[in-house]
Amino acid sequence: MQGNSFSVRVKKDFRRNWSLYVLVLPVLIFYIIFHYKPMYGAIIAFKDFIPAKGIMGSEWVGMYNFERFFKSAYFVRLMRNTLLLSIYNIIFGFPAPIILALLLNEVKNKKFKSITQTITYLPHFISLVVACGMIKDFCLSTGIFNDIIALFGGERSALLQNPAYYRTIYTASSIWQEVGWGSIIYLSALSGVDSQLYEAASIDGAGKWKQLLHVTLPSIMPTIIIMLILRMGSLMSMGYEKTILLYNPSTYETSDIISSYVYRVGLQEQDWSYSTAIGLFNSVINCFLLVVTNKISKKFTETSLW
Amino acid sequence: MRKSWKKGLAVLTMAATATASLAGCGGGGSASTTAAPETTAAQTEAAAGQTTAAAQTEAAAPAGETTYPLTNGGKLTYWLQLNSNVSANFTNLGDTELGKQWQEQTGVQIEFQHPAAGQEKEQFNLIVADGNLPDIMEYGWVNSYPGGPEKAIRDGVIISLNDVFEQYCPNITKYLAEHPDIDKSIKTDDGNYFAFPFIRGEEKLRVTVGAFLRKDWLDELGLEVPTTVDEWHTVLTAFKEQKGAESPFCFDWANFKDKNLIAYAYETSYTYYVGEDGKVHYGPVEDNFKKYLETMHQWYSEGLIDKDIATLNGDQVTAKMTTDKAGASIGWAASRMQVFMTTAQKTNPDYLLVPTPYPTLEKGDTPTWGYIENAFPDVGAAITTSCKDVETAAKFLDYAYGEAGHNLMNFGIEGVSYEMKDGVPTYTDLILNNPDGWPLAHSLAKYIRANYNGPFVQDGYYIEQYLQLPTVKECPSTWTVPGADKYVLPNVTALQEESKELATLNNEISTYVDEMVLKFIFGTESLDNWDNYVNTVNNMNLARALEIQNSALDRYNAR
Amino acid sequence: MKVKISTGEKVFRVFNYIILTIIALVCLYPMWYVAVASISDSSQLMSHSGVLLKPLGFSLNAYAKVFANPMILKGYGNTLFVLIIGVLMDLVMTSLGAYFLSRKNVMFKKAIMMLIMFTMFFGGGMIPFYLTLKDMHLLNTRWGLIIPFLVSTYNMIILRTSFESIPVSLTEAAQIDGAGHMTVLFQIVLPLSKAILAVMVLYYGVGIWNAWFWASTILRNRELYPLQVILREILISNDLQAMGGGDAEAIAMNIKYATIMVATVPILFVYPFLQKYFAAGVMVGAVKE
Repeated sequence: MQGNSFSVRVKKDFRRNWSLYVLVLPVLIFYIIFHYKPMYGAIIAFKDFIPAKGIMGSEWVGMYNFERFFKSAYFVRLMRNTLLLSIYNIIFGFPAPIILALLLNEVKNKKFKSITQTITYLPHFISLVVACGMIKDFCLSTGIFNDIIALFGGERSALLQNPAYYRTIYTASSIWQEVGWGSIIYLSALSGVDSQLYEAASIDGAGKWKQLLHVTLPSIMPTIIIMLILRMGSLMSMGYEKTILLYNPSTYETSDIISSYVYRVGLQEQDWSYSTAIGLFNSVINCFLLVVTNKISKKFTETSLW
Repeated sequence: MRKSWKKGLAVLTMAATATASLAGCGGGGSASTTAAPETTAAQTEAAAGQTTAAAQTEAAAPAGETTYPLTNGGKLTYWLQLNSNVSANFTNLGDTELGKQWQEQTGVQIEFQHPAAGQEKEQFNLIVADGNLPDIMEYGWVNSYPGGPEKAIRDGVIISLNDVFEQYCPNITKYLAEHPDIDKSIKTDDGNYFAFPFIRGEEKLRVTVGAFLRKDWLDELGLEVPTTVDEWHTVLTAFKEQKGAESPFCFDWANFKDKNLIAYAYETSYTYYVGEDGKVHYGPVEDNFKKYLETMHQWYSEGLIDKDIATLNGDQVTAKMTTDKAGASIGWAASRMQVFMTTAQKTNPDYLLVPTPYPTLEKGDTPTWGYIENAFPDVGAAITTSCKDVETAAKFLDYAYGEAGHNLMNFGIEGVSYEMKDGVPTYTDLILNNPDGWPLAHSLAKYIRANYNGPFVQDGYYIEQYLQLPTVKECPSTWTVPGADKYVLPNVTALQEESKELATLNNEISTYVDEMVLKFIFGTESLDNWDNYVNTVNNMNLARALEIQNSALDRYNAR
Repeated sequence: MKVKISTGEKVFRVFNYIILTIIALVCLYPMWYVAVASISDSSQLMSHSGVLLKPLGFSLNAYAKVFANPMILKGYGNTLFVLIIGVLMDLVMTSLGAYFLSRKNVMFKKAIMMLIMFTMFFGGGMIPFYLTLKDMHLLNTRWGLIIPFLVSTYNMIILRTSFESIPVSLTEAAQIDGAGHMTVLFQIVLPLSKAILAVMVLYYGVGIWNAWFWASTILRNRELYPLQVILREILISNDLQAMGGGDAEAIAMNIKYATIMVATVPILFVYPFLQKYFAAGVMVGAVKE
């Protein structure tokens, strides 16, 4: 009975919306080919992939590649580095644009505001390749950061050769590049806050600080939460691009992350199956984190992705 | 570690120069090669006529009777890294005079494919993964292909060339017959030839890298060229304190970490080497290596070694060496030392660099270790399993081992880029004093491949002319350490079933070693933790890696 | 009605202006440094150390060298090709997807939405992706830089949110008049979404302009290299000797900086033209997100 009514509903839906489905077809095909087909290809993680034999013809090895990763001398370090770098980026990188947006929102001088905004967007337009080239240059012992350190009587050192500084450099440069750009979304959210709320609050005698806590933040909270959930979902997927542009063996201790390891193993050492297995492991953790944060958020703030 | 350690042959004295061997080749292939010089001499207009003139070659012609240009050449794809001296002016090797002539003289049309610089390995591995390979691929099959050439053959990436050599390649067959040591090094244990090799045709061509320093400073300071590690320390300190050099000893670690003369002074190596006992050893876990690191660390903390050494690239080294910020470096004779000198002498005519001999620990000792490259430095053009026309590919590649091809690769086009003077190929002014103001390396790269590498035999006359300045000319002899090549691990290959294991072990170990060595030098890790470090490497199962390498060496010696 | 400003608030305002000025300077200075260094005299620049505020001497040699490099101009051409075709195709595809997702009463909308969202967090990885490109014959062609990256899920969601905010009455009226979805999308929805489309142009454009990784792995023909791949060769991995040879001028650092300028300035110029739409556009996109 139910199946019948379902098929009736489907038929009805198609009769009404067929042209809409035709419209979305190219997009679906795109997703199937460029997202789902690679997911199917990821079964090489469970095989010993030899190109001449093809994906199907290669031998099954079960969980061997995963076990290899878990037993690897670098497993703990990779997990730690990935998580720490990610957490750094969230702790410092996530609030930065919000704070910038709040500060900008307080500026009454329109001209100053728009100039500042425009300037802070600037680094976003600098490509990663160029940005990392600049960072590398600036971090040399003769570079500008050391010039500043020396100006205050500090000792010159090669900043990108010291694992202790790597996370700071990585995180700070990410903030530098994205803070202005990231603030746009919060600025628009802020501009949507009803000004009557502020008036009411100031009549009640609330100072700036109280207004911030009781009016501003609650108003933009849904935006913040959504952004945070999205961010948590990609906690483990720190990209390899910036890492491989910035790191060198002397900083592996803090700089080597899962994605850069996947990159080295798969693209430089030809261990395709192993590399894909690690990537898959990473993806699974991401999904898990996303679901968990979403659930927590739903429970406590009633904001959620789905 | 994987990248650059060129494994050497057991003692190989090629007293006979390449020309001598060439004379042999030329004789053997005389019937075939007569047409080629005409082609080279004549300019492009004549080419069309030539192609039709040499019409009688048959596809099934047995070895020794190949006539170039081939009439039924066809079209092939050829993947190789484009040398930066070429890419400075050309986007494709086929656009250079060399590329055009190569195709014209062989009668084979080639579509050259090149990866982005710095992404060669990545692109290579992805191409291998997709299985749709170019016809010919030039790569480091022994050390860069994980598992080595035998695995590449078994993986179905490249084909064994034994039958191919026999059937279509008289030139290389002849060369290998005359040079059994090279023959040995371009085979796998199973006896498969895997590539058309790049061969350094003479002993002096194998000594490509060494140290050099500012002689004008030494003279000014009243110092001698250092011959011991202590004297090096004195010299570098003087450079720093009296000449104000901020980083007296400056080189790009990524390129030269395994060619450091100080390590050789401690009779150790950054890589696997063959010890006095004839067994394979791994340098970075040995006590000598610790002593070497202690010295490096001391020098680093005293500011004698460039602070940024791990991140430096060639330009930065060049900048420092030519602006008095550094006084000593490690590098190639022509593309570093000579470039530094010509550059700096424009503003400072007194600027003078001299090569330094390999130092010892005790004054008066004779150095026993030094950097020497394998005569086959692991660059070779292999024919892939995707190649439909193996015969054409083979004949195309074999051409460079005959006389005409040899001259093309090493000297370019007769009458244009070189002339025969007293029986010696001599570069013309077009190369040596390029009218467009191109630097020597660029003008060479337009016409020849000898100033980098490729599937041919490198000729000694090339280097004699490439090294122009008097002190640069001294490099090969100053840098040669007699007997040093006995420590060099030859191109051994692991067994099929062991190769993946070895690759994995080596990756894991070298990643860790690369990291720790730098940290020891910088002091971010104390050398007090040396034992922990050695234990960690041992726990990564170095013993197993050595076992595989040793059995591979035994098999190699038994070839 | 004038609200009295407390002392605390005055302090805060001054403080705020100072902080923002510092942030702006930090964001600006690296670009300023690069700009100034690129027109400095090379030998003065090489021996200089310390903060650079104005050019040391003046020389445009570096720019002459950069433009003399055949690769740079070719790279520009390739990047422009991919940029123009790519952004156009991206916009069409993203609009189609976003339009579908913004419609009401569509049975499989939720399922399709989940299907799409899932890809934001789960992927097959580099090697399977590359193998897919090979199967689609996208290796060693500029289309390989466009087609596999047609839709960004994130952008599509923003666009959908914006489409949803268009009053239903407008589209329904058209549909009652017999307009199909194609007509509604291209004649009603898109014209009303100029601002958010400008944002999309910027998002996709910046992404394409700056992309280098896949280009460096799938292209085997240097004639096809986009600008960023050439930049990477120059900035990160390669010797500048490749740029201009081993002579004194060529190795000068200012070539590096001139290259950065050449590769960055054009995209900066695009921004102010779009800014007008931009502020409005992101706002619309942000309403729900």
